[in-house]
Amino acid sequence: MAIDGISSGLSGVAGVAAPGASSNSDAPGFGDTLRQLIGEVETTAGDANTAVGRMIDGTGDVHEAMIALQKADVMFQLTMQIRNKIVQAYQDVMRMPV
Amino acid sequence: MGEIVTDAAIMAALGRQMTKAVQKQAVAAGNLANLDTPGYRAQEVSFADALEGQLATPALVATDSNHFGVAAGVPERGQTGDAPGLAARRDGNNVQLDKELLSLGRAGGEFSAAQAVLSAKFRLVRYAINEGR
Amino acid sequence: MSTLLSAMNASASALDVQRARMEVAVSNMANADSTRGADGQPYRRREVVLESVPGEPSAQFRGLVASGVRVAAVVEDQADFRRRFEPSHPDADAEGFVAVPNVDVPEEMVDMLGAARAYQANLTAITLIRDTIQRALELAR
Repeated sequence: MAIDGISSGLSGVAGVAAPGASSNSDAPGFGDTLRQLIGEVETTAGDANTAVGRMIDGTGDVHEAMIALQKADVMFQLTMQIRNKIVQAYQDVMRMPV
Repeated sequence: MGEIVTDAAIMAALGRQMTKAVQKQAVAAGNLANLDTPGYRAQEVSFADALEGQLATPALVATDSNHFGVAAGVPERGQTGDAPGLAARRDGNNVQLDKELLSLGRAGGEFSAAQAVLSAKFRLVRYAINEGR
Repeated sequence: MSTLLSAMNASASALDVQRARMEVAVSNMANADSTRGADGQPYRRREVVLESVPGEPSAQFRGLVASGVRVAAVVEDQADFRRRFEPSHPDADAEGFVAVPNVDVPEEMVDMLGAARAYQANLTAITLIRDTIQRALELAR
């Protein structure tokens, strides 16, 4: 299931941000932000799974499951976009002639 | 309502609106099913929270306005009870067919409206995240 | 089960019940003149006894469970047979009276129309609930 791959895929990203955090110690670490976002992605994805499971075994409503899925989807998209921006910024910096 | 209403609060309120509409439909369906059951009293469902309470910040506060807040909008079950003021027929049944059908239709409309708005909100957020792409 | 599905089940149970009511009314009307059945007695009017079926939500279910309905029993109306003066009737007794079924055809018509109306209303309910479920799925769009 793709959802389980999210956390492993995203946790690799946190390593990308590490150089940024170590070279500029007083800026808020991208790594911390990303780790927090990844945590929330896992939470909303877990909530979505719970809600869908409840819908399947009949203890929950359809619209609850749909809303939970939408929230998880948006959280994931947000995190991916931020991750892409960070990676791009990192690559821009590395390309700078010193 | 002095304070600014956050996205998270509005979306939680919309979710609750949908839950309420669904429960109203269920109560109306149960009444309609028992239209001819002797002695059956028509039920109605009521919800405790007022409008202001609906827009209050959810219990688990989101750390950022971009975040939706975990478990915001946990649905609550309304209170079911006998509907007042309905005339009973000879068999003791006081279900009014037209009234229940109207309730069903109206609740369906409330659900549709909340769903449409919530979908639009999700679309807006996704649009903002993806910078219009 | 989820609120909307329990509502649909309640409406569906009503369809079965109202159809049973209609069948009994039709049977009563068809036998309104059956002065001698298999047991030698006139046909006795039958009626359907309904009872509601309250839902039982499971512990984790946070929604609302709709009450359905079901046929508790089909009973025979114990009202006395009416007697009609018709000495030429093959089942007439010594005084020329025939015991006729305790069926009042206009009343059966009213029952049948009421059952048909209730059937229609519950069918509409099913449609409306199905629409709501479809709108819930549109949250993905």
